[in-house]
Amino acid sequence: MKYRKAGALIAGSLAIGLLAACSSGPAGSQVSAAPAGDPVSGGTLVFGDVQPVTNAQTQGAGNYSVANLLGSVLDRLTYLDPDTQTLVPWIASSFEQNDTATEFTFTIRDGVTFSDGTALDAAAVAANLDLLGLGSAEKKIIANPNFVGYDRAEVVDDSTVKVYFGTPNSNFLFATAGATAGLVSPGTLALDLDGQSDISQIVGSGPFVFDSQVPEQEITLVKRDDYAWPNEDSENQGAAYLDSVVIKVLAEVSLRAGAVTSGQVDVSRGIQPTDEQTLADAGFQVIATRTTDLTANFAAFRLTNPATEDVRVRQALQIGFDRDELVDTVLSDSYTPAASILPHGARGFTDLSDELAYDPDRAAALLDEAGWTLNADGLREKDGVPLEVALAASNQSVVFKPAFDFIAQQWRELGVVLENRAGDTTFMNAALVDDTTAFVGTRLFVYGGLGPIFSSDANVWTRASIESLNDQFAAENASVDAAEQDELRAAQQQQIVLDDAIALVLWDETQVQGASPSVNIEFSGGDAPLFQSAWVAE
Amino acid sequence: MIRYLLVRVAQSLAVIWLAYTLTFIALQLLPSDPITVMLAQDTAVSADVIAQMKSYYGYDQPAIVQYGSQLLNLIGGNFGYSIITGQTVAERIGNVAGNTLALSALALLFAVLFAIVIVTIANLSRSGALARWVTNLPPLFSAIPTFWLGLVVLQVFSVQLRLIPMFPDGSVASLVVPSLVLAVPISAPIAQVYLKSVETAMALPFVAVVRAKGASRSWTFGRHVLKSAAGPALTVLGLTTGSLLAGSVVIETVFSRPGIGRVLLDAVNTQDISTVQGLVLLAAALFVGINLLIDLIYPLLDPRIVAESVRGRRGRLA
Repeated sequence: MKYRKAGALIAGSLAIGLLAACSSGPAGSQVSAAPAGDPVSGGTLVFGDVQPVTNAQTQGAGNYSVANLLGSVLDRLTYLDPDTQTLVPWIASSFEQNDTATEFTFTIRDGVTFSDGTALDAAAVAANLDLLGLGSAEKKIIANPNFVGYDRAEVVDDSTVKVYFGTPNSNFLFATAGATAGLVSPGTLALDLDGQSDISQIVGSGPFVFDSQVPEQEITLVKRDDYAWPNEDSENQGAAYLDSVVIKVLAEVSLRAGAVTSGQVDVSRGIQPTDEQTLADAGFQVIATRTTDLTANFAAFRLTNPATEDVRVRQALQIGFDRDELVDTVLSDSYTPAASILPHGARGFTDLSDELAYDPDRAAALLDEAGWTLNADGLREKDGVPLEVALAASNQSVVFKPAFDFIAQQWRELGVVLENRAGDTTFMNAALVDDTTAFVGTRLFVYGGLGPIFSSDANVWTRASIESLNDQFAAENASVDAAEQDELRAAQQQQIVLDDAIALVLWDETQVQGASPSVNIEFSGGDAPLFQSAWVAE
Repeated sequence: MIRYLLVRVAQSLAVIWLAYTLTFIALQLLPSDPITVMLAQDTAVSADVIAQMKSYYGYDQPAIVQYGSQLLNLIGGNFGYSIITGQTVAERIGNVAGNTLALSALALLFAVLFAIVIVTIANLSRSGALARWVTNLPPLFSAIPTFWLGLVVLQVFSVQLRLIPMFPDGSVASLVVPSLVLAVPISAPIAQVYLKSVETAMALPFVAVVRAKGASRSWTFGRHVLKSAAGPALTVLGLTTGSLLAGSVVIETVFSRPGIGRVLLDAVNTQDISTVQGLVLLAAALFVGINLLIDLIYPLLDPRIVAESVRGRRGRLA
């Protein structure tokens, strides 16, 4: 008797759980588009992000959640047009470099002010560039890795800044468009890292100003009425349409779609592939960003790991799984299989998809050649050591774990065993300095090119650098000819993906958002929401 | 009594120091360090820069030097800086501690209520079936994963029915609902122990005497048994402090509540040593503080304890 009742209770609870899993809404309706018509002024937009902002220092914006916030509080010298991959003016009304990529001149737009009233003039820009380029020991602020070779900035006059580099860096202008190169007021610059980490102390010149926060829960930004200096790409050339933006933390992935459908947030980042159809069916927008400012998602091969130190093993694993099937099976139409370390549409992208095609026979031959032969159990081993590799990845991507479960199946057919530790942050932290983990999964901004990622001998991704590749990076930085740069970039990609195979490329980075049908919002090539041009229909 | 108190306080301080030291050792044993973790995740930083930052924060010092300077800071009331947020650890924890305290206190209250209701129904219900059914609730409660229950509650009541907010918005529901969910697993061991000790007490001779004098079953139960059987349940209550903190990690994540649990999760993920150390200290202090308090309440519930402690024996029934 009692067991039956307890059983009924459990069954009932499970039924509620299943019911909850199938969200409501009319089935079969079409994906709704953003509202048409002229932008509507006013209102508040609630944006659900996946983690709280704990470090608002400009360079903290290497993290999406920080970049999403700072992108609307700080302006930058230039903006990278995601479609043309060219730089457009922003705070710098014009910019140029010399023939050796060692001197750069910026003309600063007139009349720009920080929200505390101080002028964003040449002196303020020079002070920002110096902190970014040189870092500061007493402020505990590191130099921006994209500013490699930086020497100094000089104020020529009120609206002209000249920047000098000790070594050529033709990626520098692009670095000024980077999410981690936001300009802050002289007052903010005077603070040390601890002060600049606090969003309430960040004063910028952006379209929104920090208003209030509930620590680790939400941040409210309010519009700056006198904002009149958006980048030239923006569809809105004046102050923001929205009166305010509230960024709320929604850490639990399975609730993000529900937060949108129940109207508790207007836009939610980090939607799982399995929730996309639910949202679309219920008439909500599913917005997948077209990312051009980051690498494709990749797992760096550790060049110092006993299994992956052999290039033939790396090449075998690179072609040992089917990227198209991976995207079809585990991901969604929002995702594109990677065709290089750079995403489709990025500056200098070269399409290597033919060479990356799934080829289990060739993969098996490469592994044989490398001395990893099949044993009686169908597993590969060499000198009695089985070919077992581990993957580490942080919990930032919702799809790494299922994607590598799929890859592990196809590698298992080759006789390779994968230990999938994606999403285990503690394991990831340990793996950063530990060669026993064969792969570390990530995706990174490429405003400064691929050099800053792979060129250091002690980089945490591959844990070693390759001299000939470093020569390519240096050549790219020394070239000021766009066509030549593209050629050099193509050669780098060929080497990183195929010849040396130091990065297992997966799928182009994309962030999938769920949004209310009344929201009109676009995203930068770095996936940041553009709140300045966003609006909410009445 | 004074001597008993002093010994217990000294023991408590020793436990706190041990917890602090063990955490320090455990964090030292990790192969990575906080600076690498902080810098490496999202930017491509050179080894020189990492080395420079380590020296800023003293992580290049030998472990024993780090331990000594941290401990000295601590004694001076300085918990250090969270390297991730730049705030002082005391500030970062202080910002959110109130939320967790409110959540935990309410959850504990609900857990005790659940336990009392379960014990009362199990003992006083005229329906044997109902009594048996209720008796089976504690094992079920402890078997339900808190995150699952929280997600189901939010999917049903927030997403589908839109009765409660998904985010803390200052409303009563946004505090009460997560507290109720957290109370479910907390109540299980309390109810289980309470059920058992009430069963034992009901068989004691004094109950028969009271009943023989003409007292009703419910009067005897409410007036005598519930109180005299509460001791072991109270001990369990003290032990649930740990479960409350662990549960708050889950509840705060699921219900998007800022709080100590979420900060702990973040600090562990980012290997933010000072913050983890601060939280371990806080948890250890809470744990021993509450258990000390319970030891002191004991004599009020059961006068036999005082008699024993006066004779120098450690006074606990359970």
